[in-house]
Amino acid sequence: MLVAPHTWAQEAHASAGEAIYRRGVLPSAEPLTGTRESDLRISGAAAACVNCHRRSGLGEIEGRISIPPISGPYLFHPRAKDRDDLDLPYVEAIRPDRDPYTDATLARAIRAGIGADGRPLSYLMPHYTLSDADMATLIGYLKGLTPAGVRGVGDSVLHFATIITPDADPVKRRGMLDVLQHFFADKDAFSRAESPRLRSSHRMMFKANRRWLLHVWELSGPPGTWVQQLREHLAREPVLAVISGLGGKTWAPVHEFCEAAAVPCLFPNVDLPVVAEQDFYSLYFSKGVLLEAELIASRLTEDAGAAAPGRVVQVFRPDDIGLPAAQAVRAALSGGTVRVVQRPLGAGAAAEALAKVLKDVGPQDALVLWLRPADLAGLARIPVRASGVFVSSLMGGMSNAPLPAPWRKVARLSYPFDLPDQRRIRMDYPLGWFRIRQIPVVDERVQADTYLACGLLAETLSHMADSFIPDYLVERLEGLLEHRILTAYYPRLALAPNQRFASKGGYIVHFADLAGGQLVADSDWIVP
Amino acid sequence: MSRRWLFLPGLVCAGLAFLAAADESEPNPVVVTNVAYEVPDVQLVRDDGKRVSLQREMNDGRAVVLNFIFTDCSSFCPLSSQTLGQFQHRLGADGRNVHLMSISIDPEQDTPARLREYARKFDAGPGWQHYTGTLAASRAAQRAFGAYRGDKMSHTPLTLMRAAGGKSWRRIDGFATPDELLVEYHQLLALQ
Repeated sequence: MLVAPHTWAQEAHASAGEAIYRRGVLPSAEPLTGTRESDLRISGAAAACVNCHRRSGLGEIEGRISIPPISGPYLFHPRAKDRDDLDLPYVEAIRPDRDPYTDATLARAIRAGIGADGRPLSYLMPHYTLSDADMATLIGYLKGLTPAGVRGVGDSVLHFATIITPDADPVKRRGMLDVLQHFFADKDAFSRAESPRLRSSHRMMFKANRRWLLHVWELSGPPGTWVQQLREHLAREPVLAVISGLGGKTWAPVHEFCEAAAVPCLFPNVDLPVVAEQDFYSLYFSKGVLLEAELIASRLTEDAGAAAPGRVVQVFRPDDIGLPAAQAVRAALSGGTVRVVQRPLGAGAAAEALAKVLKDVGPQDALVLWLRPADLAGLARIPVRASGVFVSSLMGGMSNAPLPAPWRKVARLSYPFDLPDQRRIRMDYPLGWFRIRQIPVVDERVQADTYLACGLLAETLSHMADSFIPDYLVERLEGLLEHRILTAYYPRLALAPNQRFASKGGYIVHFADLAGGQLVADSDWIVP
Repeated sequence: MSRRWLFLPGLVCAGLAFLAAADESEPNPVVVTNVAYEVPDVQLVRDDGKRVSLQREMNDGRAVVLNFIFTDCSSFCPLSSQTLGQFQHRLGADGRNVHLMSISIDPEQDTPARLREYARKFDAGPGWQHYTGTLAASRAAQRAFGAYRGDKMSHTPLTLMRAAGGKSWRRIDGFATPDELLVEYHQLLALQ
């Protein structure tokens, strides 16, 4: 099995070539500059090769524009009639039928836009100004872009991991693992036979003929120790990517690890993701409670004027994800006329703690409750005095939020999903699969999201034939995502370079009646 | 750099194929056609945050130059926008007669604030505005101009021009340079 040993030194030291390629910065710290026909100049980050050729160096096809791979093996391969004759991992924009570049002709291509065959390259390719030394640095970087061996990829097996934090909800954990284990078993069932060495064919949609193996990495102890634990896990069990996963109060160390170790982290079940759109490896379904905060702030801003509250009072446990959510609401409303008051819950029983912070709440106030089900139940003997009550559905349990009847009557839930009625058809598929596989549905949303993440991984890999390269996996997923129709809880998923959150909106909903869990939207889909 | 500039007069068509882009032997074909597009009655959100009618934005007495972008496009939208910016700059005083419009094909990501930031990157002068809105509105606008490809990663370089009060649009598929856009613009005016 090919295992590329992971060296932290490689990650820690960004090379000079990488700075040119990814950030458009020369070793002298001056910006990289280039021009296109008609003297349109570009410089710095806008001029960086990564913008078109991507982080993997494998290019892409955007519309009808084919941006070729420019890592070493793809530049220097001998001429071949078609891509089947090339013993290189399949990439869609490959150029088989041309003479190999040399260092000299490659420099000419970069400076003057002339191809290996002496003919002009695409208008899109800039003519760069580079000294001989900087050119050599860049070409050296290109030569090293495609790794010799890929972590987590064997001749007949693909290794993946899922990560679970110690404070993850045990019921969600069970539900997620159930889905993952069955999905991986399915993949295994259809890949029993020894498969011959893969040859790619651009005429055929390729199904990677390898078994999938799942490693479950359960973290322990305080978050400060998780990065080290993950490094050790990865060293013992090298994986191609991290799929799904489950967090509790913080996911930041996991995000940080995946970014530093260059491990794709695909759609973990976290209600508080890390918002860093310039990062590359972690993809999320949505911003979770932070999106909820924006939905609520957006509604409060709309209400301003007509039914503007005098105060917005936010209630949360200071050691839980409600705190950053409350901060996000305050930030969104800053500069407006509404005063935002933060009321962290003290220690002790929920009922008493809530009574204390809600004592002075009156009809001029809007309440925002960032509370888990146990705390919501503590509202039982507390009268509703606020004029508006917002509740986080992610924290509170969505349509199962145990709100006492008087609160249920007035509550408006932030709801970063498609409405249950509207997603029914899209949900038939995963729910049917759960039934067939006899997977108890203990948390429909987490399990649907997990199944969706697995499906997206499988679909993306099937387009990649034998090019199991982590960066390329992320890039292809970005490109293919918008095509997907079966998106379960989300009306639509889409990503792009520098976009890490696939679903960007939601609703504010209220309960149709006191008894059932039927939800009614206050308005159309909101994109804050 | 060799470029083929192909004008097809009298042809009404949406999404004319200019296949050679993927073929290195023809690095940048540009195809120009005339099409009488119907502007749909959709509401968009302008980069100043105002809800506007697409029809009214396009019929205020000025010529219109239109393209479709998204702010996270790192490959060729920056080139298209830079070109439009240069075109606007080279129009000079004439620029007050031209309404440049860039409509986002990723409206859920492209808020007015993001569009303003994007416009600043290309020195957009007054008279060049960016638009977002609902997904449905963006798609309707794309479809109306034969620019809808199903997903944003399948977009193609396209510039559309129409004289003030005109009915016929000049459709330019491919990467035109700022000067080529100027030539097209002046030819369009000459026909009025």
